[in-house]
Amino acid sequence: MAMSLGFVVGILGVVILSHAAYSTVQYRGLLKIMEEEFPGPPLIVVIELLLGLVFCMWAALTVPGTFLSIHPHSEENRIVSLPDNLDFMIFNHRARVLPVEMDLKLKH
Amino acid sequence: MGASEKKSSEAAFDVPTLNAENLQSNMKVIYYSRTFMSIIGGIIAGILGFTGLTGFIFYFLIMTVTSVGLIAKTGFTVYSYFDSWSQIILDGFLGGLLSFVLFWTFAYDIVHIF
Repeated sequence: MAMSLGFVVGILGVVILSHAAYSTVQYRGLLKIMEEEFPGPPLIVVIELLLGLVFCMWAALTVPGTFLSIHPHSEENRIVSLPDNLDFMIFNHRARVLPVEMDLKLKH
Repeated sequence: MGASEKKSSEAAFDVPTLNAENLQSNMKVIYYSRTFMSIIGGIIAGILGFTGLTGFIFYFLIMTVTSVGLIAKTGFTVYSYFDSWSQIILDGFLGGLLSFVLFWTFAYDIVHIF
């Protein structure tokens, strides 16, 4: 859920950025008609760019995934969920009735 | 008996001190974040009309902010997710610079030249 939220925020940021670019293009066109120099983008575009930057930053930090702990003994890396039917598990097998080789060797 | 004892002690030394798979996955997350932020930073620098050294200073600023954001994402406990500080601060810096310059010139051309 958080991932999809970040994704939507990122798309919103990109849309805001493209709108800012479009506004700047139109502003340049207006300046060209009035034959003035480009002093820098208007304030509203700068605000839009900052907003888009913040949104995209949010997306960049949330969308790629969460960090996983690298400590082998940390809480997240430990398997703590055992199955519920442990009482019914049987670990016997037929090798139990065969003679154990190690004991034979020790007797010699 | 002696051989088996030696084996078990070797196994004790072989126990990894960190989870390599998770470290790899964390590096991938860092790499994605940085690439995306350099692309977005390049577009913003292009729209703002930066030229020359200003743009590179802007890239440096963006990367600093991204590093702070990533460190904040770890909850300021870098060593439980990474080997060292340089991995979170420097990794992907040069690769991001190339994407940055590409999108910087791209946005600058579209907005200011055409």
